Amino acid sequence: MGKLPFEGIRVLDFTWYAVGPVTTKYLADYGAEVVRIESAARPDGLRLAPPWKDAQPGVNRSQFFASFNTSKRGVTLDMSKPAAREIFLRMLPWADVVTESFTPKTLRNWSLDYARMRAVKPDLIMLSTCMQGQTGPHRDYPGFGNLMAALSGFYHVSGYSENEPCPPYGAYTDFIAPRFSACVLIAALDYRRRTGRGQYIDMAQYEASLHNLAPMLIDYFATGRVLGPEGNKSARYAPHGAYRCADEDGHERWVALAVADDREWAACASVLGAADRDGRFATMRARMGDRAALDEFVGAAVRGRGAEELTGALQQAGVAAYPVQNCMDLHRDENLDAFGFWRWLDHKEMGPSPYEGLAHRMSRTPGDLRRPAPALGEHNDEVFREILGMDADEVERLRRDQVIY
Amino acid sequence: MRSELLKGLRMLDLADERGALCGKIFADMGAETIKIEPPAGCPTRRIPPFLEDRPGPDRGLAFLAWSAGKRSITLNLETADGRDLLRMLVQRADFVVESFPLDYLDSLGLGHEALAELNPGLIHATVTPFGDRGPGRNYKAADIVGWAAGGAMSLMGEEGKPPLQMSVPQAGLHAGAEAAVASMIAYYARAANGLGQHIVVDMQACVAWTLMNEQAMPLLHGDYLRRNGVFSGAVGGRRKTVYRCADGWVSFLIAGGPYLGSTNAAIAWMKEEGAAPEWLTREGGLKSLTPSGFMAATAADLEELERTEAIVQKFFLGKTKKEMWANILKRRLFGAPVADAADIAADPQLQARDYFVAVEHRGLGRALTMPGAFAKLSETPVGPQGPAPQLGEHNEEIYGGLLGLSAREIVELRAVGAI
Repeated sequence: MGKLPFEGIRVLDFTWYAVGPVTTKYLADYGAEVVRIESAARPDGLRLAPPWKDAQPGVNRSQFFASFNTSKRGVTLDMSKPAAREIFLRMLPWADVVTESFTPKTLRNWSLDYARMRAVKPDLIMLSTCMQGQTGPHRDYPGFGNLMAALSGFYHVSGYSENEPCPPYGAYTDFIAPRFSACVLIAALDYRRRTGRGQYIDMAQYEASLHNLAPMLIDYFATGRVLGPEGNKSARYAPHGAYRCADEDGHERWVALAVADDREWAACASVLGAADRDGRFATMRARMGDRAALDEFVGAAVRGRGAEELTGALQQAGVAAYPVQNCMDLHRDENLDAFGFWRWLDHKEMGPSPYEGLAHRMSRTPGDLRRPAPALGEHNDEVFREILGMDADEVERLRRDQVIY
Repeated sequence: MRSELLKGLRMLDLADERGALCGKIFADMGAETIKIEPPAGCPTRRIPPFLEDRPGPDRGLAFLAWSAGKRSITLNLETADGRDLLRMLVQRADFVVESFPLDYLDSLGLGHEALAELNPGLIHATVTPFGDRGPGRNYKAADIVGWAAGGAMSLMGEEGKPPLQMSVPQAGLHAGAEAAVASMIAYYARAANGLGQHIVVDMQACVAWTLMNEQAMPLLHGDYLRRNGVFSGAVGGRRKTVYRCADGWVSFLIAGGPYLGSTNAAIAWMKEEGAAPEWLTREGGLKSLTPSGFMAATAADLEELERTEAIVQKFFLGKTKKEMWANILKRRLFGAPVADAADIAADPQLQARDYFVAVEHRGLGRALTMPGAFAKLSETPVGPQGPAPQLGEHNEEIYGGLLGLSAREIVELRAVGAI
């Protein structure tokens, strides 16, 4: 096995919650040395959020945190203390990249901006990611990705109708922004390699996420049309939606399917065993003309069928379909399993459990979850010795003074 | 001005909507991204809705959005001459991104090994719906099917009603962006020894990555989450996340933990306006605000929470989205208006950061305004590099310029249907 792509790249990582940690996870799973700098004085909110091992809270028991921080080491520094900031500045020459995801006022309060850090480390790359960016009237808006999903338009296009909103699950935009920020961060590393120049990256979760709604925004600016929630209606496929199948072990199962043209509809109808006798739905125009009747027609034909069996039969006939997988189903999904998606890690306090693996696979330099996430401050001794040559006594003294904390 | 960030790099983009965002991100970062389209045009040109609802190959909103800044050539892979042209292009490219059925390129003699032989440094990403190894490796997918397979659909919608997708389909975007990250990682790796590699992206897994680790719940907490309309269903708690206001909806959450300060600030606001009952404003009045904020386990907690949510709902009904937003900012509430396209277009924050950009589309005879830079880089700014191309707009430039074919050769290739 060859070297991992980011071997030798070092990251001091102040980010917390999701966007920052998922971004630096791409580097860590591919060999970078990522050191999370946390503090017991202000723990990463994900450490306090479920799912917890045995449903019992504890800073080292959240798999929510553990999932987003694989392959990293962790130290603690209470950066509100000047002595901690001194230690950070002493560590800085070791690093290639600094990342943070606080509201902008936090680093201002620490008197630690990019200019100050660059004076210590001239070719430093720094990524700041927050809700709305480092400038502008709303830069200090605090919030989570669920609020950003509302503010950036995703909630408004989610629901059965204007009167029945149904937002996407959780902090949706937290899982859009990291792919954008990882791209520019890696590109900035490459630019530094070519030119010797570092740079500062101001990443607004808002501005990255809006790219996932670009057609709606172009439409609005051009014509003034405001897109709203449209259920599962599509202008491209009919039928198009989720239909309830037979229950399994007392759990409801649904199948999602989409029919792109009349030939597919003929195949679909034949699998459903529901003869469209009078050809009422034979053409796309007719199917789109009465979606409610079409959905009823498909729904009735699907009701007694098994979601998996039906998926196999529809796919065999050339129709796009798959069971609507819930979070339990995902662990039994044959395709995720064959891809090797679930990775088992043995966490210091939580023991062995399956984690989300990479959503891609590389042929020559495959990344992986290289180690479980750090317990809070787990690598204080190791990292402060390695980077700063601190001896055990000094670490102990700083611990007592709650600088390493 | 082309961004300096990836200037000099070239991506061949043969992907449909399952990978379109990959090439868009690369184009925004300054790579030359060439869409290679069949003579009838890339299927993404036919995705509705269309600009002004007038169908046309250059008018699809999805196409306009995610092909911005790319170049377009036509190339018929079903002809031997077309395949030769692709081989020539591959020798001059750094990246290929495609989303063909798994065996398609192999069947044309253009599988990864064949391409890597032509160009050992090539980074080749294949964006699949369900990976390349499972029983579904050859399954068809539409976006809604990927959304369902990855678990996101099961968590969206009302109990008793069908699970939902969004009106702007999302699954393919996650897959395309993942292909972009993986391609960047492989590119960084290439510098060590000049070798490229093959990347397989799994759209289903990309969607599963949007679930906030909810998939660990069955194992750790013994149950899985069901979709529950506007209610957040964290285990043990049923909390309303979307409230009606005078002219729309607003997202807000009453909870403890990280939401405690925000919840108390909202109660204080209601008190100021005489809208909070006495019990609610007493010290420790709201007992369901457990320290963690996520686990309101008892029936009494839930009953109290529902009572409080009803009071808050009534209060918010008297406020417009604008008033809500002003107070959210002023009082530091964890809340946000459920913004629509008009709200976003008028947002002073985005305006202050010059976010939206107008891009001239000569083919349409107008400029279109679209999302701008997804990040602000101090040395190498990124952002849209131009309009979406017309079909074959860059045939002369690429075939003549890059490949050095003569005008006559191009005419001949056109005559045999290769271009």
